[in-house]
Amino acid sequence: GKEGKEGKGWKKFQSYKGEGGLPGDVEKLRIHVDRKAQTVILPIHGFAVPFHINTIKNASKNDEGEFTYLRINFQTPGQLAGKKEDTPFEDPDATFIRSVVFRSPDGHRFDNLCKQITDLKKEANKREQQKKEMAD
Amino acid sequence: MAATQFDPIYRGLSPEVGKMRVAGSGMAWKGIDTGEVIAVAGGDIKSAQWLRVARGFQLRLGLKDRKRQTFDGFKREDLKKVTELLKNHFQITLEEIDVSFKGWNWGVTDFRGQDLAFLVSGKMGFEVPLRNVANSNIAGRTEVSLEFSGPSSKSKHAGDEMTEIRFHVPGVMSKAKGSEDGSQ
Repeated sequence: GKEGKEGKGWKKFQSYKGEGGLPGDVEKLRIHVDRKAQTVILPIHGFAVPFHINTIKNASKNDEGEFTYLRINFQTPGQLAGKKEDTPFEDPDATFIRSVVFRSPDGHRFDNLCKQITDLKKEANKREQQKKEMAD
Repeated sequence: MAATQFDPIYRGLSPEVGKMRVAGSGMAWKGIDTGEVIAVAGGDIKSAQWLRVARGFQLRLGLKDRKRQTFDGFKREDLKKVTELLKNHFQITLEEIDVSFKGWNWGVTDFRGQDLAFLVSGKMGFEVPLRNVANSNIAGRTEVSLEFSGPSSKSKHAGDEMTEIRFHVPGVMSKAKGSEDGSQ
């Protein structure tokens, strides 16, 4: 039972206010990291789909044959089995995207993307930690 | 009647740029490199939608026989012109679809004809055609995965290709809780 837990402690965040905020680079239909907006934009069937760094858990890549695969794992409820869940969600009963996998023949670029996403996450975690320390 | 031209316009997800002409008889797209022509007779257009995608705005035409053509690359300023052309030539009302840019990974999945849509705050997040789904799995009690088969381009200039997406669906096993229906 998670009764009454919905939305508790969740701090609102969003990537863009409207379509005008999207960087021009998304038209290449490639993954784009927008540091300023703290956002990773994924090309999904012609859409430019932003994911705020707060929704991202981690990124990893691996090479297989001619392709490089990039996996992005997202924050979803119920991942910390046995642990006290301390990540608040706006709506824990919603459907969540848990992970995506992309592939490219350009291993070098995906390597770079993986680093950018990991760095962005580290920065966000660091800021979050600093905020907590300030609050204490 | 004089034709109105839009350019550059992409057809579907192809990287080829082309020109789109709209006249009283219908619309036609012509690729610059291949010279390929896609013509749509005015009488075959049943619906039209306008939405922001990666390559500018998309004009999505619903045709007879439940077929569909999509054209990307329109500019925000083209909306008025496209609205008028569709209305005057084909008596079709252009419907604007709201797209979410919140950056959230939670929402509602909705099966719409041949597509699976993911809606964020009641707005479109993205759509994937179900015919591209090569495999689906229920992995664990609350997880659904979709694997995609696509044209695997080995060109370094091609777009990035999503091969898998996994959803966390809390309601799958315990339907008891009355969550609000996202019938947007």
